[in-house]
Amino acid sequence: MAAPKSKLMSLTEAVDMVPDGTRLALGGFAVYQKPMAFVRELIRQGRRDLTVVGSANSYDIDMLAAAGCLATVETSYVGLEKYGLARHFRRAVEAGELKVVDYPEMVSWDRFRASQEGLKFWPIPFLGGNDVVTYNDAIKEFPCPITGRRMFAVPAADPQVVVIHAVAADDRGNVVLPARRLLPQSGDVLMARSCDTVIVTAEKIVPHSFIKRHARLVEIPSYRTKAVVEVPFGAHPTPVLGRYLADEDHLAEYVAASDSADSFKGYMDRFVTGPADHFDYLDRIGAKRLAAIQDMDSLL
Amino acid sequence: MSAAPATLYETMAACLARDFADGEVGFTGLLTGQAAAIYGTSIPIVAMELARRQHAPNLTLLLAGCYHNPDFSALETMPDSEHDATLRDLPAEAQTYDYPGQWALKRGDISFGFSSAVQVDRQGNINSVCIGPHDRPKVRLVGPILQPEHMTLFRREYIMMPHHERRNFVEKVDYVSGVGYPGGLEGRKELGLDWGGPAWVITPKCIFDFDRERGFMKVRSIHPGVTAEDLQGATGFDLGDLSGVPTTEALSAEELRIIREEIDPRQMLLKH
Repeated sequence: MAAPKSKLMSLTEAVDMVPDGTRLALGGFAVYQKPMAFVRELIRQGRRDLTVVGSANSYDIDMLAAAGCLATVETSYVGLEKYGLARHFRRAVEAGELKVVDYPEMVSWDRFRASQEGLKFWPIPFLGGNDVVTYNDAIKEFPCPITGRRMFAVPAADPQVVVIHAVAADDRGNVVLPARRLLPQSGDVLMARSCDTVIVTAEKIVPHSFIKRHARLVEIPSYRTKAVVEVPFGAHPTPVLGRYLADEDHLAEYVAASDSADSFKGYMDRFVTGPADHFDYLDRIGAKRLAAIQDMDSLL
Repeated sequence: MSAAPATLYETMAACLARDFADGEVGFTGLLTGQAAAIYGTSIPIVAMELARRQHAPNLTLLLAGCYHNPDFSALETMPDSEHDATLRDLPAEAQTYDYPGQWALKRGDISFGFSSAVQVDRQGNINSVCIGPHDRPKVRLVGPILQPEHMTLFRREYIMMPHHERRNFVEKVDYVSGVGYPGGLEGRKELGLDWGGPAWVITPKCIFDFDRERGFMKVRSIHPGVTAEDLQGATGFDLGDLSGVPTTEALSAEELRIIREEIDPRQMLLKH
């Protein structure tokens, strides 16, 4: 019998699958479990004119905005939660360099549901009077064909490539999620079903036997996955549920460096463009920090 | 129990608690930052817990929109992350981990929620998207987040404003990310909005409610120590004649006792 194909590749090879101008969805939610190693590699390779479509975004968009990688962002939120506004995103939008298409939060999820269902739009009845419609020609008003009531057709998310960061996958691309997951992980599952080019970065590549023992938790089976990359601490400085916490010291450093494009240059040199690869990045973060943010998950 | 007089935050919580009905479902986010967290999270939690211990034992509290009636006594400090293991492992009646989840949002399961904004206007529209033109804003803010849903799918909304200045209370918001009452209730109906809209706006100076038929905000009560002149001076639209407006109702001794002894004995939510 022929052996199943391995989809394991390097981060560099995976980023090659995202050319300039790609319509890209990045997994995680707000400041949680963002595929940050992938984002840093996109910047290292100098991607341009990306459109990022999401539900709620933070450091992913902000860092890509700082590096000039973005043309458009379609989401409900770009901010750093307790650290306030995303400074680079804000500056790029205020300078007219970055276009934002605003969507409500649940509607953002509905747009991925539309893509999952193979639909080009999702019907939304509650957008009347909201400027989300005023500034978005892609949202079309239509009468409900059953009742005649006023409805809005909101375009499907329709990403060309989806990138999520998971705890574990095998080399065939079976992706396992913890049973006690939360909204950010469930959002990743939805995104992974909304697109045919799914790239998974994983904390750990596990043997196929591990996958078989956790079959019920394999929400993303191998045939949905195009590439898997082993990237320990791949969401750093954002957290991975049950594995490590947000690196608060690093986030504070990020924010402190974000006062201006100039002041951020040092951060970018040190942590993004300077490191030869992700492991060089982890060396610069240091074993002590990485050990300190490890999470002791429930033993039950 | 501390003999310290009731704080304004405790007073606001008691006012809110009296406005909740038994059996309702209240949705609160987990906000961070001193003033934002107090207005957006701590006061709503204390208010709902107070209502549950008095007239509304069947009220459901949704913390961070996910955690149904969590056991706050099991927390050492208020967490500042919505989606991490601290809240996941907190005992609760139900835990939402997916969308759509337990609550049928679009059928109107959520009775009320709380939102804050950078701008609110006389019609009750709110804005958290931008100041200035949308394509070239003076200030780009975070985005609409869940405001469009809060202001239409929830049965009513309490707008919690930690700052009350002319730049926050404007004649017309620069961007409508949550719809108030343009054209009053009839106007909302024409926009296809079946229910919902802002009920109150709570600020450090006063509580507003709405003439929903005619579609504008009016002062419901002024907090102790705030003059009508102060209030008008800090508001960017005309509040009309304020001479008949009452002072914000004080808490009863029993309400204060429940807050300090039962709900928040460690002052994890509201300090006094």
